[in-house]
Amino acid sequence: MIDVRPSTHATHPTGTGAGRLLVAVYGVLALAATARGLYQVTTKLDEAPLAYALSLLAGIVYVVATIALARDLRRLAWVTVGFELVGVLVVGTLSLVDVGDFPDETVWSQFGAGYGYVPLVLPFVGLWWLWRTGRTPDAQATSSAATVG
Amino acid sequence: MTVVLSLLVALLCAALAGWALWFVIADRAVILRQLWGGAVVEGALVVQAVVLAVLQATGEQDVDGVLLWGYVVTQLVVLPVAAAWAFAERTRWSSVVLLVAALTVAFLQLRLLQIWGTL
Repeated sequence: MIDVRPSTHATHPTGTGAGRLLVAVYGVLALAATARGLYQVTTKLDEAPLAYALSLLAGIVYVVATIALARDLRRLAWVTVGFELVGVLVVGTLSLVDVGDFPDETVWSQFGAGYGYVPLVLPFVGLWWLWRTGRTPDAQATSSAATVG
Repeated sequence: MTVVLSLLVALLCAALAGWALWFVIADRAVILRQLWGGAVVEGALVVQAVVLAVLQATGEQDVDGVLLWGYVVTQLVVLPVAAAWAFAERTRWSSVVLLVAALTVAFLQLRLLQIWGTL
């Protein structure tokens, strides 16, 4: 016999326990990418407009993802972390193919090699964490449990 | 002067990181005494900021001011955030965060020396 107890609690908050490490690393990356992007856009945008605009965009999305993970805004976290995964894969690939438009200047260039490949690994960890914390012991009861308790 | 200060900060950070790592292994949350340790690092960072400001204002060092101060301000923020979390998260994960924060500040010292032109 398998003992399936009804779940009385909703999903596990994304920003507590081990999630705090994720939020911390996201925070550091958000700070680094945003500061770098702001610096690039304000001082030398004309050198490589596309790369620097992307750099700033990446930074802003990291900031939003950090806030979403910290405050348990699951949908926003899914979207922003997913955006980063797509970003690092697309820009990483483009930076290898077309060196001209993507100088080694964004967090995503060369799949984030300049940041110890953290930008490549982090979205996978983030999505896994969102999936893991989103599970309840019995998924069927999730909606009803949420309305009841 | 800048190298000595950076080394001092890096060593203090390494000590704090080691202390935090010990707590991670021991499955303990951050304690107040570690936050005092963090405060010592913050004090060293403030001294460093003042020294850099004076050197930049008086010296003939050709340094990118915006970049430099971006890093100086950033490294001042990292440990206070970790400290705030230490109060909110009373598990071993607060120690993990303190560990990451201490290592981040130590790494920023390396970048700071690169920007300053010593490395």
